[in-house]
This record gives sequence, structure tokens and C-alpha cells, in this order.
Amino acid sequence: MGAITHTPAEKTLIDLLDGAEDWRAAAREAVIASGLPTRRVEAWKWSDLRASSQNIETKGSVAYRLDGSSIGPTVTLGSGEQLDLDLVAKPGIGVASLDICVPAGQTARLVERHDIQGASFPTVRLQIDLGEGASLERVIVSDIHADAVAALRTRITVGAGARYAQATLAFGSKLSRHETHITHAGEGAEVNLGAVYLLDEGRHADFTSTVTHTGPGGVTKQLVKGAAMAHARGVFQGKFKVEQAAQQTDARMTHRALMLSDKAEINAKPELEIYADNVQCAHGNALGAIDQTALFYMRQRGLSEVKARAMLIESFLGEPLDLISDDTLREELQSLLRKRLGEIA
Amino acid sequence: MLKINNLHCKVETQDGDEKPILKGLSLEVPAGEVHAIMGPNGSGKSTLSYVLTGRDGYDVTQGEMMFAGHDLAELEPEERAAAGLYLSFQYPVEIPGVPTLTFLKEALNAQRAARGEAEMSAPAFLKFARESAKQLGVSMDMLKRPVNVGFSGGEKKRMEILQALILEPKFLILDETDSGLDIDALKVVSEGVNTLRAADRGMLVITHYQRLLDHIKPDVVHIMADGRIITSGGPELAHELEAEGYDKYLGEVA
Repeated sequence: MGAITHTPAEKTLIDLLDGAEDWRAAAREAVIASGLPTRRVEAWKWSDLRASSQNIETKGSVAYRLDGSSIGPTVTLGSGEQLDLDLVAKPGIGVASLDICVPAGQTARLVERHDIQGASFPTVRLQIDLGEGASLERVIVSDIHADAVAALRTRITVGAGARYAQATLAFGSKLSRHETHITHAGEGAEVNLGAVYLLDEGRHADFTSTVTHTGPGGVTKQLVKGAAMAHARGVFQGKFKVEQAAQQTDARMTHRALMLSDKAEINAKPELEIYADNVQCAHGNALGAIDQTALFYMRQRGLSEVKARAMLIESFLGEPLDLISDDTLREELQSLLRKRLGEIA
Repeated sequence: MLKINNLHCKVETQDGDEKPILKGLSLEVPAGEVHAIMGPNGSGKSTLSYVLTGRDGYDVTQGEMMFAGHDLAELEPEERAAAGLYLSFQYPVEIPGVPTLTFLKEALNAQRAARGEAEMSAPAFLKFARESAKQLGVSMDMLKRPVNVGFSGGEKKRMEILQALILEPKFLILDETDSGLDIDALKVVSEGVNTLRAADRGMLVITHYQRLLDHIKPDVVHIMADGRIITSGGPELAHELEAEGYDKYLGEVA
């Protein structure tokens, strides 16, 4: 097999990462050897990163910012504090990473607002470590430019008895890959993953996750709900892996999506991989369309078709946002969703 | 108030075919009157309720429907609602995630906006909804629940009438409102309907059985078969029908 011909984006990325260390060096080697992942790579079959990014040639920048200043490489959170971060990506290619630690017994909230501009291709690695009995609620608002190509990966270790809740609201882009990989120690630890995606015409959003239960008595609940317009593509790839030691795991995964056009595409691949014999695991996946009977009922009561559709979609999508415990924050995301629905429904 | 003249309507069936259902139906309901339409299953009663309110897939091929100065065929369903047309559904629809109060407030204010009227404020609406609910023995707790979700058949019908009390339409079509009601619920719902009787409001009560008409006394009874009104008369017609069945009238059609 001969060497591949690199795309302009790959060339820039290789150049950008020259001399880099840690995961960046490994990523650079991988791009040199086989390029960015294409749809021929199983885990990327509905999200062709190589094709989507190929014409982004310039070096750009991406960074987590706190009140306009860069933050990192490591942040320790606790004492119930809330950290409001902006993930800012300027046009061109950029790479960033951040490590967040919530020590044992500490509680915190992390709010990430994405400010990802057009023709940008940020690659971001976030590492979150929750100590024993720690608790973190993470809220992500990904309202980004239609032309952006975003590859966002978070690895999370959840210690024994810890709690991790994550709620994402995403409107997609040319390609948006939201990866969440959790190592779940069990022993009463609880993980709650919620995501809502609403994709206007031509947009893409990919929610890929793995939750690996390594210890006994862990709980995971995952609920992803989406809606897609014509030529938009929603991707859900969820995997629960339950190791032999993780007896009495209770893990439930649900993905439900609304096709707002018969030209919308929703791809879903829920997976369970279970090596323990005394567990409760389930996954559900359902695709549907707007209920025309309900739509007529609402119009008969005087609501316009647009308003009735928006209300039906909002009521369908809203549930995952309920896991946000702070009223103001939850309402901020709900109203953002409603505003977007008003624009596209 | 409602005047239907020689109405023909076809319906799209599930396999994409078109089937004529209404075949020259004529009917006039003046303001202040309650008319009942009785007829066997398949005579086109529910189709009439849907074609009047503008449901997709119910196409007028001939004839006209005039309501309070409007040609209904030219209006969208929500425009017909704003003009004052209200359908109490035979099978009220469940809308998960939308609280009943929110739904009704949005609907009322959408209708008001369409008519160029001022919106009702949230506190005023709440007060109004509470009073209307009390009248029908509906708890505020029920109104906070999603529209019709988890309600019994009787509760759903009660909600349909409650919605009418709140939206105050000029004209009500009650499609099989008695179906799924036990005798107590029938009484409550009928009382609700009777409070809606007014000199400036008309009603069309569609029913298969006569028992609803013991509670909601019609001014005129029409008998429908094979997509047409085949005979009309006073309330006594309903009793006659109950005693003798539809066969006599169906014979006239054939």
C-alpha cells in the first residue's frame, strides 16, 4: 500500500503539530500514516471528517477561554463553583486540550459555550476526572457556524460513588462530532447523559459515546433526542460496555429522532457489550415524523401550522434538558431551542 | 350561520385511492339553534366534521360551505378556528410535553391575534381557566398536565368541552361526544354543552345514539345516510329512530 495523498487540511494539521508531544504527536503520526478518518472507518462511517475538512488550509486557533483569557492546561474545580468556559475557534485549523479535575467529595458545574466560527476546523480534547464521591454537572451549548467542522472528544473518569451529568444542546454544522467516553467505576456512581440536536437544512451532528462500567453497582442513563430537516444528518452511536467485575450495573440508553423531512437522514447504532451476568441493560432507538393528527388538532384550536409544529418539536426534544438542575441555565437552553425552532419550523 | 350546499367530498384512503364520502349534502344551522345529525356508521358523519374544519386529505369536489360570511374552503384550519368554528373530537389527541394550560393560552391568544383582538394576559387567563374548569369539575392539577395524556375517555371529552368554554367559539361541532362516557360523565359534559347554548351560537351534534339528545335537546334532527341528509325533523325523529332503527331510512337510499 502506497502512502496516501494528504488533503490540504491534513498537510496543515501535520505542519501545525510538528514537534508536538503527548496525544498531539500520536494524532500527527496517525494523520501522516492514514489521513483523517473517512467513512470507510467504521466509527466514522456517517461522519466523513476527511471529506468535510479537506479544503480548510490555513492555520487557525482554538482555545478554552474564561472571560476572554486562555485557561489550562489543568483546572481544578470544587466547592460547588460554576466554571463558564467559551470554546472559541477562529477560521482555520486549530488544536486544543484541557484537563479538568474535581477532587474527591467536591461538587462543581461546568458550562461550555461554543463559539466556533465559519471555515474553522477545531480538534479539541477534554479530559475530566471525578474523584471518589465527586459530582459534576456539565452543560454544553453548541450553537456554531454552519460551515464549521468540529471534532470534539471528551474522556471522563468517574470515580466510585461519583456523579456526572452532561446535557448538550447542539444545532450542528457542516460536521460536528461530539464524542464522550466514560470510564465508570460503579460503587453507586451515577452517569446521566442527555443531548438534544436540532439540525437545520444541510447540517450534521454526531453523538458518539462509550460508557465502560468497570466496577459493580453503577448506574447510567442516556437520553438523546434529535430532529433533522432536509439534507441534514443526525448520527447517534452509543455503546455501553459492562466488564465482568461490573455486576449489578443498571444502564439504559435511548435515542429518539424526528425526521422533519423525508430527505432528512438519521443514523443510529446503539450497542451493548456485556461481560457480567447480573446486570440490567437496555437500549431503545426510534425514528418518527411529526404526528399529523396532533398537528391538525392544534390548528383546529387556532394555532398556526408553524407554531403548532414548533410546539410539537419542542415538546418532543425538550426532555434531556430537564437534567440541568439550575433553573436559569435550563431556561436559557430551552429558550435557545425555542428561538431556533421559531426560525426553522 | 352555517350553510352547506350540495357538498361533495372525497377522502384519500390509506392505499392512496380516493373515495367519495359526501354526495350532495345540504344543511343550514342558524345562530341559536342546535341541530343533531344521526346516522349509521360509515354514513359520512365524521367526514363532515373534518371537511368543515379543514383536515388534510378531505377534499371538497363540489358544493360550498359558508360560515358567518366566510367561504370555509378558502380558509386554513386555524383561520376557521379563529372565525369561530370548534370541533370537539371523537378521539381527542394526546400531546405529550405540552401542558394543557399552555396549549389553551397559546391557542386563545393566537385566535385573538388573528381576529385583531388584544391578547389575554397570563393572570387573566389563569383566572378565566380556573372558573371554567370549576364549572366542569376539572382540577387545576389536570390542566397542568400535558394535553389529554393519561386521561380517561370521559376526562378527554370533559376537556374538549372545557376547551370550548375557554375558546368561546361561535359554532360547535360535537363529534360523537357521548362515546366513551358513562352516565355521570355524560351528564357533566351535557351540562357543559348546555351552558354554551346561546342566541349567537350554533351547534351541530353528531351522534350515533339518541341518548345524548336526552341531555342536549336539539331543535332539529337530521338523518344522514350514504353522504347525504335523507330526512329532517323535530326531536321526535331521534326517538323514532331509536325505536325503529336506521333500516327504514337506509331502504330509501337503496
